[in-house]
Amino acid sequence: MKDARFYGLTALGLVLFPFLIHPIGGYPGLATQILIVAIGSIGFNLLLGYAGLLSYGQSMFYGVGGYMALLTISKFFPDHPNFWLAILLGVGFVTLMAVAIGALVVRLYGIYFALLTLAFAQMFFFVVFKWRDLTQGDDGLQGISAPPLSLGFTSIDLTGTFPSLDLGPFGNLSDVHYWYAFVALIMLLVLAFTRTLIRSQFGEVLGAIRENEERSTFVGFDPRRYKLAAFTIAGALTGLSGALRGLYETSIAPDALTVGTSGDFVIYTVIGGVKTLFGPLVGTGLIMYMQNVISAKTDAWRLIEGLLFVAVIVFLPGGILGSFKRKRARTILAAAVAAGPPDAPSRAAAREAAP
Amino acid sequence: MSDAILQTTGLGKRFGHFAANSDIDFSVREGELRAVIGPNGAGKTTFFNLLSGFAQPTDGEIFFKGEKITHVAGPRRVVRGIAKAFQTANIYPDETVFQNCRLAALARTQGLFSLQLFRSSQRLTDVDSLAGEALELVDLAALKDVRAGDLSHGDKKRLDIAVALATRPQILLLDEPVAGMSIEEVHKTDRLIRGLAKRMTVLIIEHDMDLIMGISDSITVLHQGKILASGTPAEIRGNSRVQEAYLGGHTEGTV
Repeated sequence: MKDARFYGLTALGLVLFPFLIHPIGGYPGLATQILIVAIGSIGFNLLLGYAGLLSYGQSMFYGVGGYMALLTISKFFPDHPNFWLAILLGVGFVTLMAVAIGALVVRLYGIYFALLTLAFAQMFFFVVFKWRDLTQGDDGLQGISAPPLSLGFTSIDLTGTFPSLDLGPFGNLSDVHYWYAFVALIMLLVLAFTRTLIRSQFGEVLGAIRENEERSTFVGFDPRRYKLAAFTIAGALTGLSGALRGLYETSIAPDALTVGTSGDFVIYTVIGGVKTLFGPLVGTGLIMYMQNVISAKTDAWRLIEGLLFVAVIVFLPGGILGSFKRKRARTILAAAVAAGPPDAPSRAAAREAAP
Repeated sequence: MSDAILQTTGLGKRFGHFAANSDIDFSVREGELRAVIGPNGAGKTTFFNLLSGFAQPTDGEIFFKGEKITHVAGPRRVVRGIAKAFQTANIYPDETVFQNCRLAALARTQGLFSLQLFRSSQRLTDVDSLAGEALELVDLAALKDVRAGDLSHGDKKRLDIAVALATRPQILLLDEPVAGMSIEEVHKTDRLIRGLAKRMTVLIIEHDMDLIMGISDSITVLHQGKILASGTPAEIRGNSRVQEAYLGGHTEGTV
C-alpha cells in the first residue's frame, strides 16, 4: 500500500509540476530542465547522504555524459542518429569512467576524497576544452537536434507539444513539450530505483559503512567495494542527467564540466535535504526556479544563492526536507568532510607503545 | 602443532626503527582460552592488530587452521572465522542494539560484498536468529530495541562482543574486555567469557589480573614486543622474569 501511495503521489506531483510553476513565474521548459538536473542531484545524494562521500567532481560525469550523447549523434553515428543509442553511449561511457576513477578515489577519505574528485573533474574539463577536433573547444557542440524517440511501433518527436487546452492561470496544455513527459517518466523511474536501493540490503550495508567503517570492516564487509558501487551508480545517474541535458538543449559547452557545476549539485542537495529521497529534487527545483526568477531582475543571484546556502547550513542543517525528519543531518555533513580512515595501525601502535 | 587453530612464526612489526613486535612464535589450541598480558607498551595491541588483519606484519607468518593468512585482508579473516571485540566499544551508535548484531550476522551470511540493490534484508530470518543468539549470549536481549549509543559503558562493551559473536567466529579476540567496568560488570563479563570459551577459542588481552588468573587456560606474557614467558596461570604467577618485567616497568595490578 505504501508503494501505491508513493507512486500515485509522485506521479501526480510530476503531472502537475509544469502547470503549478506557471502562475509563479516559471514555465514548462524550466520544469523539464529542473527534472533533468535533479537526476544528477539524486545521484550525488546517494554519495553524500547514503555513502558519506563528498564528491566535488560530479561535473565530469554530467559534462562527459552530455558530450558523449551529442557526439554519438553528430560524430559517431551521423548516418543513423538514434536517441536511445545516444543515451546508452553517454551513460555507458560515464559508468566506465566512474568505475575507473572510483577504484582510485574510494581509497581516500573526507577532504582528500573531495579534492581528488575535484582534480579528476579539472582534468576532464581540460581535455574537453583542448580537444578541439572532437569537442570544438570552448565553442562547445551546437545545434545538434535530438532524433525522434523511437518506440518500435512508432516514434515521437520530443520537441512536439500536447494539444491546446486553456488551463486559466496554469497556462495552456500546449505549452508543455513531450520532452517533459519523457523526462518526468524517467524521474519516476529514478526515484523508484533510488527508493528501492536505499531500502535494500546494499543500502543497509552502505549506511552501516558510513556510520562506522572500522566496525563494518571487522564484521566482514568490504567497504571499498561498497563505496565503489555507490560511486558508480551515482556517476551513471549523473551521466544520464548530462546526456538528457545535452539532448534537450541540443548543445553543450565546457562550462558543464566546471567546478561550478559540481558545486551546484552540492548546493541543490544540501539545501533540499541530504539523505532524503526527494530532497535533491526539491533543492534543485527551488534553486533553479529562484535563479530563473531572480536573475531576470538582478545580477546578484549568486550572492543570494550563497546566503541561502549559508542560512540552510546554519539553521536547517538537514535541508528543507531533512528538517522535518529531525535526522542528525549536520553530523552527516560533518562526517563526510572529516571522516578519517579507520584508526591507523601506526596510531594504535603509538598508543600501545606510549608509557 | 597440528591442533593449533592459530599460529604465528617469527611474527614482527616494525615502525621505522621501533619494533613493536618481534620474533613472536605463538600458537593457540582449538578451544583454548589464552590470555596475552604484559606491561603497557609490551606490544599486545599491535599483536592483536596483526592477528585480526588490522595491520600488516613486517616479518613472519600467520596461520589459521593450517592455512597461511599473513596477507589476507581484515574482512576476509572475519569471513574465515576470526572476530575481534575492540578496546573501546566499536559499535553503530545510531542503530538499535539488535540492528548492530543484525549487520554482523548479515556480513556472515552474505559475505564481503553483495550487490543486492532491490531486496531488503528484512526477510532474512537466518540473519535475525543469528543476531538474536548473539544478544542472548551476552545477556542484552532485553535491550534489543535501545539505541546502541545510549547504552551504559559496560553494555556497550558487551554489545561489541555480541557484534563479534554474530559473525559466528571460531576464534574471538577480546581487547581489554573489562577495561573501565564496575566490579559487578566485571563479574558479569567474567561469566560471559567463561561461557564463550566453551564454544570457541578465545584470545584475550587484559590488565585485570584477578580476571586473567581466574579464567585463562594459559597465559603468554609479552615484554618489549617479544614473548617473555608462556604457561599456566600458576607458572606465570611464579615466574621471576615476569615479576621483574612488571615491577621494573609499569605496575599494572599485581602478579
